[in-house]
Amino acid sequence: MTEAVGQLPQPAAVHDVPVDLSKLKRVGARPKFLDYLVQLWDFRQFTYYDARARIQSGTRRDKLGSAWLILNPIFNGLTYFLVFGLLLNTSKGIPNFIGYLVIGVFMYQITSGAIMSGARSMQQNKALVQGFSFPRAALPIGVNLREFLGNVPMIIAMLLIVLVVPPAEPITWRWLLLLPVLALQFAFNLGVGLILARMISKVNDITHLLPFFLRLVMYLSAVFYSLDRFKDHPTILKVMEANPMFIIIDITRDAVLYGVTPSLMSWAMLTAWASIVLVVGMVFFWRAEESYVRG
Amino acid sequence: MSGDSTVPGTPSDPCVVAENVAMKYKVISTEEQSKPPSLHRKFLRRFKPNPNTVTVNALNELSLIVRRGESVGVIGRNGSGKSTLMKLISGQARPTSGAIHATSTPIMLGVNAALVPELAGDQNVILGGLAMGLAMEEIEARFDEIVEVSGLEKSIHLPMKSYSSGMGARLRFAIAACGNPEILLVDEALNTGDAQFAARSKRRMDELREKAGCVLLVSHSLTTIKDMTGRVVWLDKGDLIMDGEPKEVTKRYMEFTKLLAKGNNDSAFALRAELRSSLEMVNVVNAPESSRSPQVVR
Ligand SMILES: Nc1ncnc2c1ncn2[C@@H]1O[C@H](COP(=O)(O)OP(=O)(O)O)[C@@H](O)[C@H]1O
Ligand SMILES: [Mg+2]
Repeated sequence: MTEAVGQLPQPAAVHDVPVDLSKLKRVGARPKFLDYLVQLWDFRQFTYYDARARIQSGTRRDKLGSAWLILNPIFNGLTYFLVFGLLLNTSKGIPNFIGYLVIGVFMYQITSGAIMSGARSMQQNKALVQGFSFPRAALPIGVNLREFLGNVPMIIAMLLIVLVVPPAEPITWRWLLLLPVLALQFAFNLGVGLILARMISKVNDITHLLPFFLRLVMYLSAVFYSLDRFKDHPTILKVMEANPMFIIIDITRDAVLYGVTPSLMSWAMLTAWASIVLVVGMVFFWRAEESYVRG
Repeated sequence: MSGDSTVPGTPSDPCVVAENVAMKYKVISTEEQSKPPSLHRKFLRRFKPNPNTVTVNALNELSLIVRRGESVGVIGRNGSGKSTLMKLISGQARPTSGAIHATSTPIMLGVNAALVPELAGDQNVILGGLAMGLAMEEIEARFDEIVEVSGLEKSIHLPMKSYSSGMGARLRFAIAACGNPEILLVDEALNTGDAQFAARSKRRMDELREKAGCVLLVSHSLTTIKDMTGRVVWLDKGDLIMDGEPKEVTKRYMEFTKLLAKGNNDSAFALRAELRSSLEMVNVVNAPESSRSPQVVR
């Protein structure tokens, strides 16, 4: 269109119209934090349905379907066993290395998978965010729920491997401790996911850095070696032992593999990590509630 | 109910209030700069994150008050900011400045299709209903009705990514229409899909309009606008030109487009300027109930 952009004249009049805005709600306004939590609870059916519907669709394209949920960590474990157990021999002095490795790999994959999906949850659901005005945190929560439900077969596989592959370990009451570990791990994953989801919705480039960050966490979490190799470096050891991923793996190994009751210190540390990260994540995510719609 | 209920002298409660809203989009343009770039410039440009951003003023500062019981039509040429206004009101986009206030969450019956592409149509129905805040039981009770309105029949069980854009739009319409919104926004939804769907969606629309507290309707069909609304707003290039009786506004708008079609741009813009200079705009002043004096302007 070729058109002289003529300056429009001023309107004839501008009338002041009094409106009681307190009777109306601002569209897309962010509620107070507690109201937000209540809203999230009100949308729990949405969150749960979102999680459940997507589990089924996730592996539908593969011939082996949901078997991949188990096969994937098993193949990963095999790879690490070949490289670290047989070639590099990092298994030195670790009793039941296969069990040790399997628990490390599986527990790590639970967290890395959940963080990855949580981080991308806003960016991948733009249509939903722009179409409806539900509390946005329902999406990262739904994604974490989906990951958790999808991981149940994987956890069962992990326990079976510990039971069956020699040296077979017996079942003790301590296996029940897996439940609080998984709950704390869920809270931790969700918190990190919420923080990253907000960051990625602003700066998409972070998605490219995330895999490197997660791999670094794996190397630092004693998945395929023992922290005993640092026993001469107390500072390094302290730092490594404070790593939440390591604590998760370590507690699980103690309870499931070695029949040892995990120390109170580890529980306290993990609880602190999980609750702080979750609260910080929720607040941080909520503060940008109005901006997600812009994508 | 059509918008005739806004008889001058008896202002009813506002349903939607747009307070000085403006919308700018920042977009990346591939248009070359006037000077041919030197070789090292060309090289640098490959790495520059934002090569050539352009700001589009989709909607210039605008205030609008829509009262309960009103049906407002929005007309204007392509790119004049009609859809942008609807997106701002529905909360699908956040205004660059200003704010939209409403009595409840406005629901838009739009044409943007995919919700979650990898989920099947029926799963999207449930997810969309839950996202609107409906309870699972309500959705289940209305499920057959939604599928019927969408006219998708067996395809409802296929993943949404396999839908044609018309099918997606129909499903989107059916989902949005299954809530009974107090504030209903329609963006040319009447013109999507085939004739059969048009008839069905019109029926559902009429029902919704009867129940809704207020309706905003974007359409290129001036007949639809005249039939369905009691007030029309004309936007051009992001500016408000006229706001008034459907008959009068559509008549002037027709004159304007006819002049443009004949290539008579100067008289067209003279007409636009003349109409704009006789426009009476509103300025929203926040006032608690008690201090309000009755006053009617639109
Ligand atoms: N998402 C977007 N990004 C960038 N520019 C946009 C976007 N949406 C609309 N615009 C621009 O804003 C202007 C108004 O568009 P729109 O509101 O869709 O007009 P209408 O619905 O009246 O045809 C147009 O110039 C259009 O190019
Ligand atoms: Mg449009």
